[in-house]
Amino acid sequence: MTNLQPSRRRVLAGLGSVGTAALLSGCVTATSTAQSSSKGAVTLQSNLSAPQAKAAMEDLAAAYGKKGSARLSLNTVAAETFRTQLPTYLTSANPPDVYTWYPGSVADAYAKKHLLLDLDEVWESPDLKRYSKALHSLCTGSEGKKVFVPTTYYWWGMFYRKSNFAKWGVQEPTTWDEFLDLCDKLKSKGVDPIGLGAGGNTAWVASAWFDYLNIRINGAQYHRQLLAGQHRFDDPEVHKVFDRWREVLPYFDPDGTAVAFQDATTSLLNGRSGMMLIGTFFADAAPKDALDDIDFFRFPVIDPKIPLAEEAPTDGYFASARTGRHDQVTDLMRYLAGVEAQEIYIKGSSGTVLPCHPDAKDAGTPLVRKGRQHIEAATEITQFFNRDSSDALQPTADTALTKFLAKPKSVDGILTDWQREAEKIWRA
Amino acid sequence: MAVLTAPDRAAPTSATLRRTRERGPRRTPPLVLAFVLVPLLAEAVWVFWPALQGFYLALTDWDGVSPPRFVGLGNFREMAHDSVFRTAALDTVLWLVLFGGLSALLGLGAALLLQQERRGVGFYRAALFLPVVFSLVATALVWQAIYQPDGVLNQMLDALGLGSLRHAWLADQDTALYAVIVPALWRQIGYVMVLYLAGLKGIDPALYEAAKVDGAGRLQRFRHVTLPQLRGVNAVVLSVIVIDSLRSFDVVWSLTRGGPYHSSELLSTYMYSTAFQSLRLGYGSALAVVIFLLAFGVIASYLVRAFREAD
Repeated sequence: MTNLQPSRRRVLAGLGSVGTAALLSGCVTATSTAQSSSKGAVTLQSNLSAPQAKAAMEDLAAAYGKKGSARLSLNTVAAETFRTQLPTYLTSANPPDVYTWYPGSVADAYAKKHLLLDLDEVWESPDLKRYSKALHSLCTGSEGKKVFVPTTYYWWGMFYRKSNFAKWGVQEPTTWDEFLDLCDKLKSKGVDPIGLGAGGNTAWVASAWFDYLNIRINGAQYHRQLLAGQHRFDDPEVHKVFDRWREVLPYFDPDGTAVAFQDATTSLLNGRSGMMLIGTFFADAAPKDALDDIDFFRFPVIDPKIPLAEEAPTDGYFASARTGRHDQVTDLMRYLAGVEAQEIYIKGSSGTVLPCHPDAKDAGTPLVRKGRQHIEAATEITQFFNRDSSDALQPTADTALTKFLAKPKSVDGILTDWQREAEKIWRA
Repeated sequence: MAVLTAPDRAAPTSATLRRTRERGPRRTPPLVLAFVLVPLLAEAVWVFWPALQGFYLALTDWDGVSPPRFVGLGNFREMAHDSVFRTAALDTVLWLVLFGGLSALLGLGAALLLQQERRGVGFYRAALFLPVVFSLVATALVWQAIYQPDGVLNQMLDALGLGSLRHAWLADQDTALYAVIVPALWRQIGYVMVLYLAGLKGIDPALYEAAKVDGAGRLQRFRHVTLPQLRGVNAVVLSVIVIDSLRSFDVVWSLTRGGPYHSSELLSTYMYSTAFQSLRLGYGSALAVVIFLLAFGVIASYLVRAFREAD
């Protein structure tokens, strides 16, 4: 007769075997090499959660579905959740197939760990072959393989409302001195000259000021090297950036670090602040009727000897190396790189982005035409702080820059701390 | 025969009784066993095993993507020189004292105030308990609107002629931590009140009668009857507030993310931002181990003392 009675020894032995099984099956830290299923729709994980951008992505998915080649399942995730979950998505055993994200150093960090699908064959398509040389190099990983398909790009600039500038009797400045004069005039009219929006969960907006001052004072090349850890944040060159920044600090909205950029752009549209250094993405949440009244000017030149650079981040897609739907993914990527897909997205969103395909039409508004010229006139293009460095380095900038905005006199200590924190990230 | 066998069936002999009694507790029905072992297995896989992995990860350097690199106690050595860790640890102690202390005191006060059955007391109890049922993230969003530069709080200060006290409550390093404690307290008081109300209901009224007969005043009755009788509840409340203090995360993260520049950083928010924003999961796990040891240490030392006193 079998003895079914439990004993302490048996229970412990059972638990031990469960533990051993778990050990043998590997722990969460082990990197799985499994591939996802080849059946079902291609999954596209999107971080474009602003209402207009999300609607445009849905239009895109529907249009691709109508083509009949493969089905596309769109999954929109809040931007912050997407960012923190991305490493988990890419390392999971059954990952989503395609992702909205950024090219350059951000994509390359994953490519180096062999988590991204090799897209060389996608880049053989006639559409992508016609993309600019700059985009070719931006989307090539350090191991020489294409890992990214770019679809749109946008620009950063000093945005304002034309009607408000006319009402206040002021004009766009081009030099730093003219910019300071403009700030003085706006202040005399009881307006906060410069909106910021580095409060709430958008402290990263302050990085735009750091980026622009650095590329105007030290140049784009120095800026990229600094973010790659080849220079120190407590170098004299970086101190110069903060010296200039201190000159305009009195003109910043005093609530600049207390409100998120969405609230700051509302203040801009309502005329409570005069202008704001921001990317065109802010227009995705702006009322459509205000879009025609929005204009921008180039961040003022500080040293004419420094080659003109602009921040023009590129957006697009990469795919998981573990996708089991290789053929469907490459088909989707070719479609996204085409004219039809890029025009559908631009039409459905606020229309303030520019397509990467040379034949795709932009929204055609005066603002977009000006934006295109603005980027074409630049000698060098930078992406943005986290895109030229890494998402991991961004929190160090958030801390340093918000502290500087509150305590501009403590810049020495702030930069020493920033360097120490950045070293931990670079070492990791 | 029938007469002889009948009593045998109706009343078993003492020997068979003994056998049945002996076998009873030993033969646990398989269903009952399953009710114990299945949850234990689930707990082992989903709780104990990840927790053990957390201890292992605390000894590694891991970016969440590459395989972890074993660094021994390197993370803990780094912690000893980490000024943000020191700030977060001090803020956590401050949080424990203010959030924990005030929620215990105010929860007890509310329970004493609302323990007697009077007309309308149910409404006040429900009103105080209501914040407990809201999610902390929703609570934080409401309070964020209150603390905005143009929010209700600053408008009220203006209306009261106290415009000079206007503040960017969440963006100022001097006020951020305290501004975040208020919504956390607002939620916790109702919870602690319910625990104390249950404790107060369990006190024998005869003790108060006896104290009254002996001439004890209100304060003396509170000190010599209520407080000693609440000793059991105190242990529960202390455990709850220590655990809740150390795991306070959502309200702080939703309101300030530990900022501005780490001024409202708790160990929990520092652990999250280190692990999931800076992608230093090894160091983040080491911080989680510290949080665990703190919670375990405080609660265990209190319970050991409480048991010793009880003996």
